Amino acid sequence: MDAKTLAAFAYPIGLGIAALGSAFGLGKAISAAMESMGRQPEAIGKIQTGMIIGCAFIEALTIYALISIFILKVVGVI
Amino acid sequence: MNTELSVKENNENKMSDLQVMQGGEVKIIEGEKIIEIKGKEATGLDVSKNFEKIAIDSASNPSKSSPSEKLEHKGEEETEAPEIPNWITLVKQYPAIKNSPKTLEIIHLAEGPIFSFTVVIFLSIIVIIGTRKAKMIPGRLQTLIEIIVEKFYKMVCDILGQKNGRRFLPYIGTLFLFIFFNNILGIIPFMKSSTSLIQTTGALAILTFLYVQFIGIKENGIFGYLHHMAGSPNDTITWLIAPLMFPLHVIGELAKPLSLSLRLFGNIMGEDILLGVFVFFGVAMLGFTHLPIGIPLQFPFIFLALLTSTIQALVFTLLSTIYFLLVLPHDEEHHKE
Repeated sequence: MDAKTLAAFAYPIGLGIAALGSAFGLGKAISAAMESMGRQPEAIGKIQTGMIIGCAFIEALTIYALISIFILKVVGVI
Repeated sequence: MNTELSVKENNENKMSDLQVMQGGEVKIIEGEKIIEIKGKEATGLDVSKNFEKIAIDSASNPSKSSPSEKLEHKGEEETEAPEIPNWITLVKQYPAIKNSPKTLEIIHLAEGPIFSFTVVIFLSIIVIIGTRKAKMIPGRLQTLIEIIVEKFYKMVCDILGQKNGRRFLPYIGTLFLFIFFNNILGIIPFMKSSTSLIQTTGALAILTFLYVQFIGIKENGIFGYLHHMAGSPNDTITWLIAPLMFPLHVIGELAKPLSLSLRLFGNIMGEDILLGVFVFFGVAMLGFTHLPIGIPLQFPFIFLALLTSTIQALVFTLLSTIYFLLVLPHDEEHHKE
């Protein structure tokens, strides 16, 4: 098993773990937003905006893992 | 080394394959030709030389019939992910441009800025026509521009306060509109988002970072800026810890443009590649007809691309606004306490 095979095997597993972590984080954030929206229906607009922005932050960490694979593909390692 | 090249026409295999057989015999099956190299020592050098020749043959061979491969050859080089071709990659196919590597390099570098300039010219034309004769009871285009400006004014002033909000509104509003229209441009046929290149997003992030630091130094003075960088120490313990906090804050400040640029770049490039892969599948599904048409499988993902474009532009803008808020002096709250 050479280095290229190992890298091609390990990178998607790493990406899956990053996606798992972000799924946990997003679930917590969105459930908190849903709860507070239920409590105060008049503040739904602001809470929705804040929720979308928070989700974009959490999603960004998974995107970093994804683009590292693309960069390595361009460089030639994978 | 005895090498014997014999070219046989063979219409069976359409896949290119390299099979190394035993006993120093190398058989290269490519397209519609099988090239056999028989020899006692078929070294790697021999194989690579002949493989180049085969590659050049197949590149100039017009009998490549599968349309998925045609699309591949149009839009991508060997090590890049599949992307939908735009009008610049089609321009690159002309033999006059294709054969001079200098022109190719210049076009490759200029691909991003050309699409950015398209967006800039489009936005400028809309705004100039809309505000040419500004009336008190506005016409339709002026109303549209006023709605957009007022929405941003409200959003920015909620975060930064009235005075600073008016001051930074031009930069922040331009940032949002530039990023939003650049992201959307990738969905239009024969165009490409220039924010899917790290050049554009890195430039935007570096510009925001430098502007924020400049405003920080201008508002707080150089000593106030360093004071803020060391964690704002005001009693003994925080003064002692200040040398530790300083590198931490510097690294935190440097991580901000990195995360801004990578977030935008990753999202938009991911969208482009998603669309490209589904176009590839759609064309490959109808590959048996040997026509350059395909089932539009990428259609549902265009809606996802619209959503992502808007959200990423909004996130970039809001984060920049918050970075401005962090360096501006917030002394009203201290007076309240």
